[in-house]
Amino acid sequence: MKQTIYRSQDGLEGGASAPAAEVPAELAAAAQAATDPKRSAPVGPTKISARDVSVFYGDKQALFDISLDIPDKTVTSLIGPSGCGKSTFLRTMNRMNDTIAGARVTGRIDMDGEDINARSLDPVLLRARVGMVFQKPNPFPKSIFENVAYGPRIHGLTRSKAELAEVVEESLRRAGLWEEVADRLHSPGTGLSGGQQQRLVIARAIAVNPEVILMDEPCSALDPIATAKIEELIDELRERYCIVIVTHSMAQAARVSQRTAFFHMGRLIETGDTEEIFTNPRERRTLDYITGRFG
Amino acid sequence: MTETQDAMTATRLDRLRGGLKRRYAREARFRLYGILAIAVAVAFLALLLGRIIDQGHTAFYAHEVAVPVYLDPARIDPTYPQGTNFEQMVAQQQLASRGLEGDAAGPLAAEMRGLFSSELKFEIARRVAEDPSLIGQTVTFDVPVSDEADLYFKDEISIDTPAEQRRLTNQQIGWLDELENDGKVQAHFNSRLFTSGDSTEPELAGVLGAVIGSALMLMVTAFLALPIGVAAAVYLEEFAPRNRLSALIEVNINNLAAVPSIVYGLLGLALFINWMHLPRSSPLVGGLVLALMALPTIIIATRSSLKAVPPSIREAALAMGASRTQTVFQHVLPLALPGVMTGAIISLAHALGETAPLLLIGMVSFIPGIASSITEPTGALPSLIYIWENASERAFHERTAAAIMVLLTFMIVMNAAAILLRRHFERRW
Repeated sequence: MKQTIYRSQDGLEGGASAPAAEVPAELAAAAQAATDPKRSAPVGPTKISARDVSVFYGDKQALFDISLDIPDKTVTSLIGPSGCGKSTFLRTMNRMNDTIAGARVTGRIDMDGEDINARSLDPVLLRARVGMVFQKPNPFPKSIFENVAYGPRIHGLTRSKAELAEVVEESLRRAGLWEEVADRLHSPGTGLSGGQQQRLVIARAIAVNPEVILMDEPCSALDPIATAKIEELIDELRERYCIVIVTHSMAQAARVSQRTAFFHMGRLIETGDTEEIFTNPRERRTLDYITGRFG
Repeated sequence: MTETQDAMTATRLDRLRGGLKRRYAREARFRLYGILAIAVAVAFLALLLGRIIDQGHTAFYAHEVAVPVYLDPARIDPTYPQGTNFEQMVAQQQLASRGLEGDAAGPLAAEMRGLFSSELKFEIARRVAEDPSLIGQTVTFDVPVSDEADLYFKDEISIDTPAEQRRLTNQQIGWLDELENDGKVQAHFNSRLFTSGDSTEPELAGVLGAVIGSALMLMVTAFLALPIGVAAAVYLEEFAPRNRLSALIEVNINNLAAVPSIVYGLLGLALFINWMHLPRSSPLVGGLVLALMALPTIIIATRSSLKAVPPSIREAALAMGASRTQTVFQHVLPLALPGVMTGAIISLAHALGETAPLLLIGMVSFIPGIASSITEPTGALPSLIYIWENASERAFHERTAAAIMVLLTFMIVMNAAAILLRRHFERRW
């Protein structure tokens, strides 16, 4: 196993381009389908632009000079082996790293041309604009309604109870959960199945109408049917939001995303259209990873 | 070839079987130890409770005697009924009814007086003061028998008890038998035990003053220790920067939890009584001292239940744009509440039984009154137990055990409340 990695890195040094034939046909097909112009909306203008972003946890550097543009109305997937820094990078975009003691972020991240790490920008305000969905479904131990209503409530987005109820229904509808929970809005959110809980937290995230939704391996705790539903949902949400998804599943990245960024050991190795990454990666390490030689 | 393979398989299986047998034997032994340990613990508990109940159950009933009293107009001054020596009057009447009068009755009057509780004279004086027209009539009073007589009726002492171990004389025992045979003595529930304060007369003493004192003290403790403890724990756990200072504070809180309670008593004496001049023996001072004592425990319990809240809930709230305060008060604290409640109530129950600090702030004095505010002097249950156990009257011993039962009931109620609260709050998913 180790030998394979060494050999692949030798290949990288040689600067050899990876032969496209080695990419599994299904992956390439999925990638092509996702980026098929007939199916996908055109990639939007740049929403978030990261420049030389490094993250330190104490003395340990987790990310090295990441520069990446994330387009609007697009699903961008961050892939890479465990511990490569993709989740860390995701968390820089809503400043969740601020909550970790000893974490330090350098470099610049702009959202719509505005520095999100600027002192003048309140992280609370930022998080109202950048929603997040976690790996493990984490609904609040409150009712389904309260879960979705929480965001609009704390940000004071609705003026009346009726308006709030409307927002809740609308969000649940958009998350594809309304039909399943309409008759039990006031039963606990934690009583739903894993897949339903994950759609509930997506509804919770979109209830404040964010501009960006960050998803940290949203399907890794779900079964294939629930996964398919979430992927379908992500595809629908793409029309309105800028979505960044961290995933361990190559197939998922290929299916749902239009752009892909490959991280390895805290560095951004390669980024490009999903179709291109999966059919014709420029870097040897990308190829080795997507074909399952390491990771 | 196959034979050797079979042989190898056979020895392998034998070894596995042998090992398995040993493993099961070890497990069975361990279970036995566990059962033995539980049995010993239960036996001790049963012994303790059994002894207390055996000693104390007799305190829950008492004997009363019906005494006909001729309210002699020659001896009672209607304008000042309290001035009459009713005890002597009743004793002489009783002796007269037994044909003992004049000189023969003189030395016996003291013995006759010793049969009745001193409640008799107060009761007569009260009734006469209420209704002076009773003077000249014969009225029957139901009054408690004296503590020693009560013990006799409870078979704690008998005519066979060596004379130096009882205060009743043979003559008194004879009279008591007479009274009982006449059907004048009746046992009934000892409601005085629950409706009166402490008294020097065992048959009149009750735990109410101490129960109210303990309850007032506990209220002061809860009002102070709960909010301060929870607020301190929330700050330390959720907001305080992790640095040397907060580490130092944490270590010191853990140390304070281990400080002997008598030291808190000394602190209370110096700080609240000698320096702040708060009223001695008052529930206020007691509550303050117990609050100081309960604080570290409450802080530690609250912090550990805050720590136990899954980080995913914090992340969810923060990612929704909740501020840190909103995250703590809307999500983390409600989830930690069952643990906080349990910790708080258990430390309050602990404070309730604490005796040592009370010794130093004057709560172990004889205080017959019942406090109606937190600044009035009062006793407390543990100190009452201490006082009664040290009393010379034999009748106080059963009452000591009864007071212990009251204290244990108080604690069981509090612990049950802790469990119920926990259940109630956990049911909110």
